[in-house]
Amino acid sequence: MNESIRQVAIYGKGGIGKSTTTQNLTAGLAESGKKVMVVGCDPKADSTRLLLGTLAQKTVLDTLREEGDDVELSSILKEGFMGTKCVESGGPEPGVGCAGRGIITSIGLLEQQGAYTDDLDYVFYDVLGDVVCGGFAMPMREGKAKEIYIVASGEMMALYAANNISKGIAKYAGKSGVRLGGIICNSRNVDREKDLLRAFSKELGTQLIYFVPRNNIVQRAEINRKTVIEYDPTSTQADEYRQLAKAIDNNDMFTIPTPMTQERLEHILLEYGLMDSLKDYVI
Amino acid sequence: MSKNNLKLPAVEIRELRTNSITGYDGNAKDLVEKAHSTGLKDIERGFQQCAGCSITKAACMTVLIQDAAVIEHGPIGCSTCLHDYNFTYMVNGKLRGVGAPTQRKIFSTNLQEKDTVYGGTRKLEKTIHDVYERTHPNAIFVLSTCASAIIGDDIESVCDAAEDELGIPIVSIVCEGFRTRVWTTGFDAAYHGIARKLIEKSDKRDETKINVINFWGGDRFTDWFAPFGCKPNYITPFSTVNTLKHSGDAAATVLACSTLGSYLANVLETEFGVPEIETAPPYGIAQTDRWFRALGKVLHKEDIAEKVIAEKKEKYIPKIEELREKLKGLKAYVTGGAAHGHALLSVLGELGIEAVGASIFHHDAVFDSKRIENDQLKERVDDFGDVKHYRVCSKQEYELANALGKLKPDILLSRHGGMTLWGAKYGIPSLLVGDEHLSMGYEGILDYGERILDTIENDEFVKNLQKHAINPYTKWWLMQNPDYFFEK
Repeated sequence: MNESIRQVAIYGKGGIGKSTTTQNLTAGLAESGKKVMVVGCDPKADSTRLLLGTLAQKTVLDTLREEGDDVELSSILKEGFMGTKCVESGGPEPGVGCAGRGIITSIGLLEQQGAYTDDLDYVFYDVLGDVVCGGFAMPMREGKAKEIYIVASGEMMALYAANNISKGIAKYAGKSGVRLGGIICNSRNVDREKDLLRAFSKELGTQLIYFVPRNNIVQRAEINRKTVIEYDPTSTQADEYRQLAKAIDNNDMFTIPTPMTQERLEHILLEYGLMDSLKDYVI
Repeated sequence: MSKNNLKLPAVEIRELRTNSITGYDGNAKDLVEKAHSTGLKDIERGFQQCAGCSITKAACMTVLIQDAAVIEHGPIGCSTCLHDYNFTYMVNGKLRGVGAPTQRKIFSTNLQEKDTVYGGTRKLEKTIHDVYERTHPNAIFVLSTCASAIIGDDIESVCDAAEDELGIPIVSIVCEGFRTRVWTTGFDAAYHGIARKLIEKSDKRDETKINVINFWGGDRFTDWFAPFGCKPNYITPFSTVNTLKHSGDAAATVLACSTLGSYLANVLETEFGVPEIETAPPYGIAQTDRWFRALGKVLHKEDIAEKVIAEKKEKYIPKIEELREKLKGLKAYVTGGAAHGHALLSVLGELGIEAVGASIFHHDAVFDSKRIENDQLKERVDDFGDVKHYRVCSKQEYELANALGKLKPDILLSRHGGMTLWGAKYGIPSLLVGDEHLSMGYEGILDYGERILDTIENDEFVKNLQKHAINPYTKWWLMQNPDYFFEK
């Protein structure tokens, strides 16, 4: 693969908004003229729905199962919003086989089929929430992704997951050269969220690269199978995602994270995660 | 909870059931005492060579059933060694009345990368049907592997569905290698499946039938059981699906090897009402006396047992004494599995040969019956004294090469191919006898003793080999203690 392509993986706790954030941010990059490919690494295959405006995409593994090894790239790689290339790895039916191994197989197939063309500026891997087994760590482990962004919020379990994912990054940093590019806060409006995320990021040896405020327009856009930038380009939330895209495009802070102990994580939560009184609470 | 819960698809592993270990360095007396007092604690090795896998143990107890077929459900490499049992079947069949041994029916689902992603159950379904069409077996055994276990294929459900369709027992055997470090768990896995799906419960006892859980050795038991009016029902090599089905109505169960049959003998006793004989297998005169008495007791034919003992001793003891004279002053080293290795140590004791040391593959602190009198190593220590330099080696050849090189015995005894070469490289006459029945009983002392004498008298080959052999291990390693890599 062309070394100048920025290979990015987005991790984070299940349900935190990784797919929504990834698609809105890649829409922002595409709008600014970047060539982007999004690879969904979730058996649910819902990582590219907003970019494509539909869910009915054939996944790599479905195609491999039905048509054998002789897969035509055009049958799995679809073009979405502003020319973004979209692929879904997919997976076996629930409760059968091994979805983790499926990710390894499908990324291997994409490489063989020449999906990573030289004209790309970015490849984004949108990985299933919890890194449950080696397959889901594959994008960071085997140098498929060079920079990782973790989507988090001020909720404790989101930070707990982010810390665990950082352990994985630190583990593979030496071998694969993977680095943490920052934490993206997908706000849940919890107490002193920005302060907490800043403190958490600092402790982790990284940065809070962007704070995405909560806005109901995201939900409305999703129901309409669109990114916010496509759904309402003039909205303030569309600008937020453009800013996030810019922050990532300009990012030059790539570190090996320094994961913390559970005790230290809880200490930070106690220090920043509580308001003195209800009157501090402002949305 | 019962340790042999036949409702569950998988047998409990030996580490949990029988407190089995894969490493020890000390003496036999200490090991026996610890096993029966504080229990045993396994060691970790900082360096490890190849060891065994449960699947080959499960395979040897299923492949050798005359009219069954075996499917290995996994990548084809996991069945690499299974054809060995085709050879065993062909060669040893005649010892067990199988005059025209047939090719063994061994298959693999040949799982590929894609199958691990989507699951291998459909392929297994198809394989079961294909195997049925092609070989018409009376039962099919499906052996699990690490690959099918990691992806969590529901083998049991596939087997149950196929059983309903085909009308023959389709038996799932949970024997993936990584479940246990004690690969003899593979025997238990095979027996667990057989007990769950084949053996039938019976209210009646066939007083003429005695189950013999064994490998593939010569037939000693037909003659031994005849005075009692009984016949052996061999489990499982050279049995048929039908004879296995009816092993639940036998009068008793005996074992050729305490470790091999521990689980099934206990299941037959607790779940099917077939009593297990209350002593270790008959190796050495003292133990053979105890064995015939225990057999007489379980059959309520104590008088016949005494008669057999007296007759056999009258016939064989003078010859054994003659042989002892010829073997006087010799020193031997033993390597083999538990408990046949223990059996050979008793045979050595009876022949008056000093057992200077032993490298035995694993050790069960207790057996499933929990009967201390089934502990063959304890009987050896009680009858003939301690074995210094007793080791549990998990088949680590680097440890054997080290220990053997230091002790320089007059002979190396082994039951497993590949182990005697270490004796030969050191110029030590080495005897490999795979038939574990050869050294059994009073006549076994004589038969095995004569093989020892023969081996020692014909040492030209090993002496020559020693001159040309290169020891692959460094001098440094050979100077360390063999337990150097045990993590302290």
